[in-house]
Amino acid sequence: MTFPYKGYAGKYLDVDLTKGVVHVKDMEKEWARLFLGGSGVSSKILWERTNARTDPLSPQNILIAGTGPLTGALFSPSGRMMFAARGPLTGVWAESHVGGFMGPEMKYAGFDFVIFNGRSKKPVYLFMRDGHAELRDASHVWGQETNITTVMIREEHKDPSIETAVIGPAGEHGVLYGSITVDFYRAAGRAGLGAVMGSKNLKGIAASGAIGLEAYDMDKFVEASAREVAKLNDPLWKESLASLRKYGTTGLVAVINQIGRLPTRNHWTGYYELAEDIGPEIIAEKYRIGQEACYGCAIGCKYIIRIKDGDYATEPVGGQEYETIMAFGSNCLNNDIESILHLGKRCDLLGLDTISCGKTIGFAMELFEKGILTEKDTGGIDLTWGNKEAQVKLVEMIARREGIGDILANGVRKAAEQIGGDAWKYAVHVKGLEASGQDPRAHQSVGLTYATNVRGADHLRSLSSLEELGYPNIVIQRFGEEKADAILNIMSPKYKGQVVWDMEDLYALVDSAVICKYSTMWPPVFYYDTFVNVIPSLTGMKEWSDPKYVRQTAERISHLRRAFNHRLGITRKDETLPPRLLHEPMPTGPAKGGLPDLDEMLDEYYEYRGCDRETGYPKESKLKDLQLDFVVDTLKPKGMTR
Amino acid sequence: MYTTKRNNLRANYTFAWGLTEYRRNHPVKDILAIDLRLCTGCRSCELACSIAHTRSFNPKRSRIQILKEEVRNLVVPMVCLQCERPLCQEACPNGAIVENKHGVLYVDSEICIGCMNCVTACVYGGIAIDPVTRRAIKCDLCKGDPACAKACQYGAISLSTSEAGGLNQRRRGVVPAFRTLGIQVEEGRE
Repeated sequence: MTFPYKGYAGKYLDVDLTKGVVHVKDMEKEWARLFLGGSGVSSKILWERTNARTDPLSPQNILIAGTGPLTGALFSPSGRMMFAARGPLTGVWAESHVGGFMGPEMKYAGFDFVIFNGRSKKPVYLFMRDGHAELRDASHVWGQETNITTVMIREEHKDPSIETAVIGPAGEHGVLYGSITVDFYRAAGRAGLGAVMGSKNLKGIAASGAIGLEAYDMDKFVEASAREVAKLNDPLWKESLASLRKYGTTGLVAVINQIGRLPTRNHWTGYYELAEDIGPEIIAEKYRIGQEACYGCAIGCKYIIRIKDGDYATEPVGGQEYETIMAFGSNCLNNDIESILHLGKRCDLLGLDTISCGKTIGFAMELFEKGILTEKDTGGIDLTWGNKEAQVKLVEMIARREGIGDILANGVRKAAEQIGGDAWKYAVHVKGLEASGQDPRAHQSVGLTYATNVRGADHLRSLSSLEELGYPNIVIQRFGEEKADAILNIMSPKYKGQVVWDMEDLYALVDSAVICKYSTMWPPVFYYDTFVNVIPSLTGMKEWSDPKYVRQTAERISHLRRAFNHRLGITRKDETLPPRLLHEPMPTGPAKGGLPDLDEMLDEYYEYRGCDRETGYPKESKLKDLQLDFVVDTLKPKGMTR
Repeated sequence: MYTTKRNNLRANYTFAWGLTEYRRNHPVKDILAIDLRLCTGCRSCELACSIAHTRSFNPKRSRIQILKEEVRNLVVPMVCLQCERPLCQEACPNGAIVENKHGVLYVDSEICIGCMNCVTACVYGGIAIDPVTRRAIKCDLCKGDPACAKACQYGAISLSTSEAGGLNQRRRGVVPAFRTLGIQVEEGRE
């Protein structure tokens, strides 16, 4: 039976790189109905096609490039796509999302998903156009940086409308946090999916298409979509929108430093005295030359910079995000904004995750200060805090695994094991993923977010901005008046289990739809009702007009991703925080003395999630309610259900 | 034959018709004016246009196109300027480019043979070939209520009417783009 739903391209590609064959297959109805798309469908595919023995960098691992029903439809902000695999950096569930124009183009070329398995003998890239796909030789672009690769692929096909998602030298050299760069300066950065791509001798994917997509009821969908966008234009969010459009995410540098949550000096503290040097105003005044937006986006948080002269002069490139400025700036005590912008640009071109890369360099700088690493280890590089020349050198060395870069390319967890001694004390990670730009000691719920996030210490699976930026109306709407005060208290652990549980499920849908966190996380406009409004008219899936079904689907996706990790041995003891964030009270700044009450929040979270408190394993009844019987079949014999 | 529209206009001066006379014979029309400074290149206009004309999400079939060139940081919206003396119409061997009842030129796809003469003739890139039907397509202003203008969240697209100021607005929209692309644009009188 052909795929019945609209809004999807309706086909996916199953690519066997070892044999060099591309199979075009019909999408499966149950994937869409039960898991929507993107992250949800990927979790189903990865569950079925990998197991506990799959080595992330082996040909047996699979890499998924995915989109969702909203990708490429007239809905802001829907120009996104995602990648998923078993992650090389963490060894567990890995997914990474990216904006730009590639996702919609892939769907217009006729494909919702691409599943890669095996390993090609020689470098190749996948080219998709109007329902056809082929593996093409990539030996001429192998070793090239991401921007040149894109230009060369466009040149090869004499078509400037081609969009790409490619890796740079870092992914090719197996840097465990190698990223996949889309459209020159956007990246599916986290969790090292670029390394998985590189391990398969796959340079990237490219697409151009004019097939187009239909809607089940176009008029109704356009109307529903307009209603959702109108919510975004509500005067309530005027300030947030204005800030995002002017500063992009860099506006957060000032906001977050104010609440003492800006990771500084390898997460030692959350307050950076020199934050103004790297903060939003200086970028907007001196370097920003224009605003850009991803496909179909009404927010437009991307900005373009140019540095006219000096060591770090550059032609127009995409400006750096908050996380990059934090990772290379405050985190390494570097207050030279031009060098930070340069480092971010180099990471995009080399294909490195800026967060993990900056955090690993910060980690090395702290080891250097403590004498655990010396100039003998670093090959003469002086890793004093804030040494920007050293940072620039290290980034290039990491991308090519030269000298000390070979160890640092493995991320903080593995690097700490290799270096030995007390190094582990300074490795700030959860499940192997370097922590992003938040701090649970200044924002309780971040602790729970980091600990329970399926891909590691990261904000993007369940961060709550409700208490961080203060949205009392929204809190009352979602959680009721009596809980509002406690929830809005950023340092209270009370009800945070419920908040994070709710956010995780919401983001599971966002990541499956696939849309952007802006307008969901910040400003918190879209909620479950958004999906009830738009999915049925777009796809024709009737059950999606039932709010209960929508929430249940969200839970289903969350549980399947968690089950994927349980199968790999993850339990409550792994859902914790690094010692620095759990036991060292915040030393300075507005949040001085703060520590997260992780256990209290975890207990509440497991309760809401339907999991066992002791182990974090799911309850069998819960899985069965969610139609995840196939998960029970696998986990129960291993004693991983309750 | 005059090579460009501007030369065409200049010829009209030379032959002493005078601008007023020229305008009398060729009344100024409504046009889409795009403010480049506000455009972010999000391509919502393409999506909205393809929905209005093809009832599908298919930007490649849109009448308005955003050219993007990341290396030089160019974002250039291209759409029909509703010329008073349309080169595309002159170039069409079949007479497929005709006025609709709102006085706006559109391509009659029944008559169009997809020869691309109009595409070559238009110096502004305002007419293109639909990749699916293989016939020429151009902006018909959606009967006076353009879908692209409604979809633009940044207020970059507006329908400027044939009153004074509209033409200047149009010129301001295209000059920076063409300058960046290296195409010579003569200074016009405001």
